[in-house]
Amino acid sequence: MGTSPGHGGEIVLDGVVHAFRRHGRALRVLDGLSLAIGKGEFVSLVGPSGCGKTTALDLMSGLLPLQRGSMLVAGAPPLAGRRDTARMFARDALLPWRTAYGNIDFAVATRQPDPQRRDTLIRSLLADVGLAGFEHAYPRQLSQGMRQRVALARTFSLESAHIFLDEPFGALDAQTKLLLQDQLLKLWERVHSTVVLVSHDLAEAVALSDRVIVMSARPGRIIADVPIALPRPRSASKMQAMREFHELCAQLWHELERAVEPVS
Amino acid sequence: MTPPPDALKSDTDHDTEHNGARRHRSLVFAGRIVLLLVTVGGWEALARLDLIPAAFIGQPSVFLPMMMEELLGGSILHAIADTLSATLAAFVLGGVLALLTALVLHAWPLLKAVVDPYLNAMNALPRVALVPLFIIWFGLGALSKIVSGISLMYFILLYNTIAGAQSVDPDHILLARSLGLTQRHIFLHIVVPTAAPAIFAGLRLGLVYTLLGVVTAELIAGGKGLGSLISYYSNTFNANGVFAVLLVLVILADLLSGLMTRIEHYLTRWKG
Repeated sequence: MGTSPGHGGEIVLDGVVHAFRRHGRALRVLDGLSLAIGKGEFVSLVGPSGCGKTTALDLMSGLLPLQRGSMLVAGAPPLAGRRDTARMFARDALLPWRTAYGNIDFAVATRQPDPQRRDTLIRSLLADVGLAGFEHAYPRQLSQGMRQRVALARTFSLESAHIFLDEPFGALDAQTKLLLQDQLLKLWERVHSTVVLVSHDLAEAVALSDRVIVMSARPGRIIADVPIALPRPRSASKMQAMREFHELCAQLWHELERAVEPVS
Repeated sequence: MTPPPDALKSDTDHDTEHNGARRHRSLVFAGRIVLLLVTVGGWEALARLDLIPAAFIGQPSVFLPMMMEELLGGSILHAIADTLSATLAAFVLGGVLALLTALVLHAWPLLKAVVDPYLNAMNALPRVALVPLFIIWFGLGALSKIVSGISLMYFILLYNTIAGAQSVDPDHILLARSLGLTQRHIFLHIVVPTAAPAIFAGLRLGLVYTLLGVVTAELIAGGKGLGSLISYYSNTFNANGVFAVLLVLVILADLLSGLMTRIEHYLTRWKG
């Protein structure tokens, strides 16, 4: 299916199987996931809900222990808290007792001991996501979209080589979503880290990614691996007017339909 | 009441809303004053008309001046100092003990599961019933009333702290793990701030209950505090004296509670 797992990848998954225990029974969510992601590649995982996308991301970011198969991130097994990985969550996970600035500082302080440098970095990132002047705002004073922008800035503040995003814009309205996608593209195009994005929004996956991986319904397997050969730098909002963009979306819709109702 | 003329200009929505809120506040305030005056007036009338003998219920026109006189340099100041110092000691000691216990129980969930039913049983025990025991163990002095205060403070703060620490957002723990934070760091920077509002609520409630524990011990054991003063007046059939001291206690409890609320609002201002 286009990928040749096992060699030549920054993130390499080979035969990853994962099961959860539910009511005393084993529920298999990943069924032999094999995948190679190149350095600096922006890859999206899409699929029906419950297909194990987030589980795959949790395994890559080391938040879940690997059960079966092998997985390497930059040649080493994943581990939570690795300095070269950053994780962004579906909910903002901001600390309500810290300001926008303080929340980013909470993360940066784990990587950068010099407060002067931290300050410069935090202020420039807040400006990048359009929140200059909101340094001292507490999360409850910010809108959902603004909170997620702080979380986005926090994720990129770690300057990690690998960034794992779990449906970061899932809870936002369409307009805000496009705005945040553009901000994400701008931040990413500057650093070109390897990004794995879990999404249930096909248009989002197409607009952002170099490659979209379509997963089957549970237990999740890869059923399509679609390269997105749209020119960069991109803008998610401008892309809405492009014909190729809509064609790719339609193609992915078709693949996803197969995922939801597997043809025998 | 006619609305002020400028309320009809622009921004009327905001202005009327503001005025409405203000009017509501002054109504509530006026209502409270009226309620107070009616109560005190009724009380005074009952006593004066001898509908209930003043020897039983006291008489505001007697105990209010009596309280003021005592407060302006009477012996009650020593009693206040005595009760407050014991309350403060019990508050601090009980508070520290409770926080340390919560820390240990948080670090060892197994231990918490083991001691849980016993802590619940001890908390359900009416602590007033223990005061005679405290007097046997610690004598009639300050120590037994401090222990009585601690016995209330400790459980209130312990339960509030544990409940607060249990409300940690799982997303925050995931974030901390993804950042590679140590258990110690997670405890100090995530668990403690999460529990802070519950801890402050426990401190505020605990302070008032500590005062209660101390005064109860004084009532039973005697000595120099406000509780002892109440039992002295009561034993000499001086209802006005009892009410004067009670009033002082109410004011003290209110001041302490208000002070705690202020500190709480400042330290948890992120809650808005």
